[in-house]
Amino acid sequence: MASGADRTAGMGLVLFSLLLFSYYTVWVIVLPFVDADHVLHRYFLPREFSVILPGVAGVVLLLCIAAFTAVVLLKNHKPKKMD
Amino acid sequence: MTKLMQWLFGVSLLATAWAVVTFDLFGLSFPPEYREVAWPMPVYLLVSFGCFSLATVGYRVATFNDCDEAARELQDQIKEAKEDLRKKGLKL
Repeated sequence: MASGADRTAGMGLVLFSLLLFSYYTVWVIVLPFVDADHVLHRYFLPREFSVILPGVAGVVLLLCIAAFTAVVLLKNHKPKKMD
Repeated sequence: MTKLMQWLFGVSLLATAWAVVTFDLFGLSFPPEYREVAWPMPVYLLVSFGCFSLATVGYRVATFNDCDEAARELQDQIKEAKEDLRKKGLKL
């Protein structure tokens, strides 16, 4: 059986992704059909950000992966040079 | 028709439908809401795929199983093999 910490972390991931999915779905799919002066619009950023924010997040993620790869590769190369 | 061709065909069909609604290629004059929903669709699909992947990983982490029985069976088999090898004169 998975330990308590594992279960909390896993359920946290599931919960986070579900929340993100429902918020994003309302933002992208439902909001265009809601009147512009409705209260619901106050809880969401302007529409163009629904593409800009994931784009920025994707770029940051790719940069992190690239940095991680670079660090790992550099670390693996160092001992060979010492020999 | 290979699997690749099928996928390419499906993807191009979807892309065409998306472009028709987003750029109003044939002057069909959709309601403006349709266009509003359609243009972030690629990013929306990407985000939903990401959410699905994250949820799958989280669920698998939460329900990760220890295989107690299999571990015991494996230990027994190791013991058995060691005894067998010892009988045949192998020093372990």
